[in-house]
Amino acid sequence: MVNPVLLLAVPLGLAFLTPLLAFISDRIARYVPVAGMLFNCVVSVSLIPSVLNRPIIVQTGGFAPPFGINLVAGPLGITLAAVIALVGLAVSVYGLAYVKEGATVKYHVLYLLLLTGATGVVLTGDIFNLFVFYEILCISSYALVAYSGDKNGVEAAVKYLIQGSIGSGLALIGIAILYGVFGTLNMADIARNIGSTGILNTTLFIALAFMVAGFGVEAAVFPLNAWLPDAHSSAPAPISAILSGIAIKVGIYVVVRIVFTVFGAPSMFMLLVVIGVVTLLIGEMSAFSQNNIKRMLAYSSVGQVGLIVFALGMATTGGISGGLFQIISHALAKSLLFLATGYMIYRSGSMEISSLQGMGKRMPLTCCAFTIGAFSLVGLPPFAGFPGKFMIVRAAIAQQQHLFTFLIALVLFGTIIEACYFFRIVQAAYFTGPREEPDAGKQRREEAPLFALAPMLGLLVFIIALGVYPEPVIRLLDSCAAELLNRFDYIKGVLG
Amino acid sequence: MQIILLTSFGGAFATYLLAKISSRLRDVCAVIVSGLLVVFVALLYNKTPAATLIPSFVGAPLTVRLNMLSWFFAIAIVVVGFLSIVFSFSYIKGKERADFYYLMMLLVNAGMIGIVLSADLLTFYIFWEIMSWGAFLLISYNRGPALRAGMKYIVMSVIGSVVMLAGILSLYAVYETFVFSELAGRIASASPAYSLACASMLCIAFAIKNAVVPLHTWLPDAHSEAPAPFSAVLSGILIKMGTYGLILVLYLFVGVKLFISPTYVWRGFRFVLLVLASITILVPSFIAVMQNDAKKVLAWSSIAQAGYIILGITFGTTLGFAAGMFHFLNHATFKALLFFGIGAVEYRTKTRDLNSLGGLLKRMPITFIAVLVGTCGLIGIPLTNGFVSKWLLYKTLILEGSPFLAFIALIGTWGTILYGYKLLHHVFLGQLPEKYKNVRKAPASMQFVLIILSLAVVVLGILPGIPLKLINTIAVSMGMDSMNINIFGIASETGALNTVNILSVLAAAGIVVWIILKASKKSTRISQEDNYAAGAAIPAERYSYTVDFYNPLYRMIRRYLRDIFDEFYYWIAGRVQAFSDMVRRLYVGDVGCYAMYILLFLSALILSQVWWRVW
Repeated sequence: MVNPVLLLAVPLGLAFLTPLLAFISDRIARYVPVAGMLFNCVVSVSLIPSVLNRPIIVQTGGFAPPFGINLVAGPLGITLAAVIALVGLAVSVYGLAYVKEGATVKYHVLYLLLLTGATGVVLTGDIFNLFVFYEILCISSYALVAYSGDKNGVEAAVKYLIQGSIGSGLALIGIAILYGVFGTLNMADIARNIGSTGILNTTLFIALAFMVAGFGVEAAVFPLNAWLPDAHSSAPAPISAILSGIAIKVGIYVVVRIVFTVFGAPSMFMLLVVIGVVTLLIGEMSAFSQNNIKRMLAYSSVGQVGLIVFALGMATTGGISGGLFQIISHALAKSLLFLATGYMIYRSGSMEISSLQGMGKRMPLTCCAFTIGAFSLVGLPPFAGFPGKFMIVRAAIAQQQHLFTFLIALVLFGTIIEACYFFRIVQAAYFTGPREEPDAGKQRREEAPLFALAPMLGLLVFIIALGVYPEPVIRLLDSCAAELLNRFDYIKGVLG
Repeated sequence: MQIILLTSFGGAFATYLLAKISSRLRDVCAVIVSGLLVVFVALLYNKTPAATLIPSFVGAPLTVRLNMLSWFFAIAIVVVGFLSIVFSFSYIKGKERADFYYLMMLLVNAGMIGIVLSADLLTFYIFWEIMSWGAFLLISYNRGPALRAGMKYIVMSVIGSVVMLAGILSLYAVYETFVFSELAGRIASASPAYSLACASMLCIAFAIKNAVVPLHTWLPDAHSEAPAPFSAVLSGILIKMGTYGLILVLYLFVGVKLFISPTYVWRGFRFVLLVLASITILVPSFIAVMQNDAKKVLAWSSIAQAGYIILGITFGTTLGFAAGMFHFLNHATFKALLFFGIGAVEYRTKTRDLNSLGGLLKRMPITFIAVLVGTCGLIGIPLTNGFVSKWLLYKTLILEGSPFLAFIALIGTWGTILYGYKLLHHVFLGQLPEKYKNVRKAPASMQFVLIILSLAVVVLGILPGIPLKLINTIAVSMGMDSMNINIFGIASETGALNTVNILSVLAAAGIVVWIILKASKKSTRISQEDNYAAGAAIPAERYSYTVDFYNPLYRMIRRYLRDIFDEFYYWIAGRVQAFSDMVRRLYVGDVGCYAMYILLFLSALILSQVWWRVW
């Protein structure tokens, strides 16, 4: 069996190796992220069967928990690590073709660091270690948002930096309070100390509030998400894809891990549900009236985050596995959309939706990928978005409470708005612009390069496969949900 | 049955791939696929296979089954699908993105087959959605105004599916199953309010697809803007998926015994459906009269005719059910025929504007006869199939105590006569504009389709026993009384229908008229200008005497026939848009403000805990 620590060590090592390799040849350096993510993909998928039996606890330096830093590779962590590696792989292949100008070596280093940070956050069992990885993730994404170096990019990056730093600062205060109270940083140990009363004293609640508000910034829930539309829309396409697909999911993971596992605070579930619905509605409505396609996708990410948080906040097996399924399907579909729009914008030279006209003829495969990604996000069968949405609605209705009936009505209203703006773009890409002669299109074809198409088609295959046969993934997610819901199993698994 | 689904879906993609090689190959493949489907479905007559597609999908199996009801719908789907593909040959030739067009036609067809074959609500929903987005892409195909029509369609369709999803999952929350046969009759055991809520949610979804007033507003635009072959499918078959859904809900889930039982709840529910159905007949029939776009006339007429179907089905007696089902079949034939006929005219003249067409009778004789037969069927003239189903419907309504509804249906038919004649007259009779002097007759593939469907209209009109026997079997299987059917009609105590008698009476009347005409003075032919302008010289191109055809009637009814629901929905959409714009302003763009949001959130969280201990 492979050691899960390799999931962190290999990309981290490769990240620092990249500048050295660049001395030999720039070409080699370009392929480093691909190699690293391919490795992570293989390792994390191969670990899934064994972690389903029992989580793998990796001790560093030979100290048994709660002393020393440990990694907890449970079903949830490994599943998310696999998703991160998969999307990371697709985006890094895309980057081979897309990222040609500027400081490419730095781009690859930062890109690998970002993914290392993300993987580290989902695998670690130590709350301060989590914070460190979280900062690695955030700092590399600040830098990457500004990668293109134009005014918009830098401005967005600075805004992101300010809000992100406030968030990190708040989270750090929360962690410090916890350490002050319990004298330990191990999440399982903190959880054991907090116990299972479900009622928190004021000190603990303040720690919880600081951490939720702090990590919530990266999770992009309303009202902490104002950085997202700027950052996601100004970043270069692969970075938008990775930020929307991966980074915000990591934020959600942290919030959920803290609320469910560390604090075990059922009273906060309702907060998550309400915040989720509000975020969903605000995100979808803001996306509805956008003319800039990347901003629209960014706001749609906000909406999807709302849906995911809503589902996770229900705290039932169905709700949590629905939410996790939605995390996966959104990671696939939204990164696909950003990748596809990357080249559409590159070809048309504008981010306005109206400039997409005739794209269906110019870039048929890219447009097809975009359409399927959009259909998947709206939740149409037979694409990956459907089982996710279906499970979430089913879980909400199964609660059989008037409040949830009302909330699910709002969620479905959000879905309708989402359908409106996505269908509008699909129409714009295929059915607007001057009518053309049937054969004229052949000469004007400007398809995206092969290295950009391949990852899009890869993601497409996953979207359709998940939409047609979701059952194995759902079974996996059910055990992830169990990990979140059974707090004591987690504690016992780590502390023995 | 898996073979049917495999052929339909696989065939759609195979056609698309073959199209990349050659367009000839694509056409052949499309015909083979749709033809094979007709054969497969026909072979399954009177068989009841069942199968599981995917053993477990989000925790429930995806299953399919076939019974008489779904066979009845399936055969209509595959036949109209086949004809529309044949019709598409020349219609779509030389247009852009023809490969995509065929893919979507076959995909929508496959989706509809999937719908009628599904054995559980989950499968049903999946195929339903595939059909819905496929139809969206086809409606938008023509660009220009079609974009707006497509948006309107898909928004209403998504609203419908969302409501349906909520309904399906509410059922699931209580009964823990999606399977039709397990759900059947169990709704009776739930509390009336709950089952009524579930049934209404499903009914709303189906009523949107079936374009029942007030949920009809997507249909006139979508039908008129879609490519002609797809309009035929849309009107003939696709909207009837809503009818199929309604039958499932009313006759299977609720159960016909309960549905027509005089309990307070269900009586009210049935009453509402009946009223909506009659409004759906009445108002759109007259809105159709006022249209000047040939396909808009047909589109509004589709809404009205769907009203007859719903009226029959929601009436709930065997005869009513038979009337509704038979009218579904008839509508699929004659409305598809009319859309194909008008499509052929549009293909040759490039216009659908009734006021600029005219006099095509001599230029396109086969098309004229087809449209004539179709219109007769639509109006319900004896010896066409429309007569039989309408006869059944009136008979049901009058005999079983709802003469008022029968009266409304009759007035609707009056409107049908008016717009039916208007359509026929404006396109084929009257003066032939100069620019259409050289219009050629429709291509052979189109004529083939028109002839087949015209024959179907007449044959079903003379031998209504064939489908009625089937419908009788379906009715019995749903727990209704049986009817006494022979090949020429129905024999029953309350009055027999026999098309042979009607035929002989008509023949006798025809002979009498012929004799009188023969005996009377010969009429003299005068030129059209003489007739119209009393001999004054007028430039033929400047005048179109077909404008304001029913002017006095227009003036009378115009002000009552505003589509207030359409305006209302647009108003709502506008409000939502304005509100979204307001919401967007939350993101002001000032980072200091954003930082404040974060801190406000944190302080609200902490203060609410410190003061009220909410968390």
